[in-house]
Amino acid sequence: MINLIQSLLYGLTIGGVLYIISVGLSLTFGAMGIVNFSHGLVYAVGAYAVYTVAKLLGAGYLLGLVAAIVVSIPLSYLIERLVIRRLYGQAIDYAIIATYAVLLIGADSLRWVYGASPLPISDPVGVLWTFGGLQMPAFRLIIIILSGLIFIGLNLFFKKTLVGKIVVAGLQDREAVRSLGIKVERHFAIVFVIGSALAALGGALYAPLSTLDPYMGFEILILCFAVVIVGGMGNLTGTTIAAFALGMVHSLTAVYIVSSAADAAVYVVMAAVLIFRPIEA
Amino acid sequence: MLLSVDNLDIHYGHAQVLHQASMSLTEGELVCVVGRNGAGKTTLLRAIGGFMKPSAGDIVFKGEPMSGLSLEQVAQKGIKYVYQDKRVFGDLTVRENLELAAYPTGESMDSAIEKLVAIHPKMKKLLDAKAKGLSGGERQILLIGRALVGDPQLLLIDEPTEGLAAIIIGEIVDILLKMKSKITMVVVEQNLATVARLADRIYVMKEGVMAREITQREIIENPSNYEEEL
Repeated sequence: MINLIQSLLYGLTIGGVLYIISVGLSLTFGAMGIVNFSHGLVYAVGAYAVYTVAKLLGAGYLLGLVAAIVVSIPLSYLIERLVIRRLYGQAIDYAIIATYAVLLIGADSLRWVYGASPLPISDPVGVLWTFGGLQMPAFRLIIIILSGLIFIGLNLFFKKTLVGKIVVAGLQDREAVRSLGIKVERHFAIVFVIGSALAALGGALYAPLSTLDPYMGFEILILCFAVVIVGGMGNLTGTTIAAFALGMVHSLTAVYIVSSAADAAVYVVMAAVLIFRPIEA
Repeated sequence: MLLSVDNLDIHYGHAQVLHQASMSLTEGELVCVVGRNGAGKTTLLRAIGGFMKPSAGDIVFKGEPMSGLSLEQVAQKGIKYVYQDKRVFGDLTVRENLELAAYPTGESMDSAIEKLVAIHPKMKKLLDAKAKGLSGGERQILLIGRALVGDPQLLLIDEPTEGLAAIIIGEIVDILLKMKSKITMVVVEQNLATVARLADRIYVMKEGVMAREITQREIIENPSNYEEEL
């Protein structure tokens, strides 16, 4: 029983990270109709920013988190202005090719700067939380709490702010928002930058649970696409539920079947969803 | 002259759907466009609204050419579009639908709400209801109220009574009649009785061509002459 609860808590951690990273991808997918592979680059840059500030500069993990977000903002702004904005209304293949190119260029640049060897970051909290027979690194609990806070924050943003309401309306009917005289793409761009900052934060949070490598963005991207497909493109509630559900699938498969099958189990769920609820062309 | 459309051609890909369509509108007029399905009525309205670029011809609003403007720019010039298929923002409340309409115009929310309530007082009770929960008639009223925010000078209304019960159609027509003379409108409509009540002038479209122009009196006196054309 304790093993199960512990697995579920680990699942919540993975779900939390997947949620933080996927929400931006889902919005870009749903709102702009763009498959954005460069999201994986922003995630990796977030992780490397933490490594640089916390480990290389010795300025601490918290400052590294801030650096990850700060670096992601101009980077995602440039990607939006120079690449994404030119892809609005274009065939989906152009978006895939262009954003995949950005991811490849970025990943190779990271390799050029930091090398190809995996780089570790130690647990920044270093405290083991114990309750009864349960044992859990406090850092993982912080991730769960943080993802909950981000969920609440994003909900407030989309329900209470004008930009959020414009994006919600734009997800439903972009043309109708434009016909009111609102430049909806400008508001989508704001959300694109927020989503990218969250991806960088996700990378920074996941870095101590894993190791860094220049191509880490590719792996996470496939998991995040699974979340977006299962949850529904642009569906914020669906993305949340899918992230945590797939986090559970990942964790429970790793514990009760075999850890190497954890990613595959997520793809199986995605495939099942595609069979029973195919994406409309 | 508030609006003049001259020799407008519209293509969907290689298919030409509008052939040298022309119409004009003076301030305060309510003009109906009638014709069978596929005659090009909605295409004409959407071209004026900035949703599609004409391949030839001119649209001039208050002396200014509109053909090259984006959808947002056309709305900001004072031309608002009321959709055919009751396209409200369903995940937002009635109040939030108005808030979005008020934002680019700078109009206050109090004033925006006042406009909606003025055309249909019952909407006051529905301000905090999600728009997706509204009936078809309430959605149509919300769309008209939303379009009135920012004091537009021209409303383009696409089939406002389509799919509505007879009693609701009466309410919508009453609302449009109340608005008449305060605002200029182009209304695409299939229902001859509605057209007879509303229109100052009527354009008849046929297979993408503006076939002719008739008056309200002609429809009232000889409705059977026109039933075939709708």
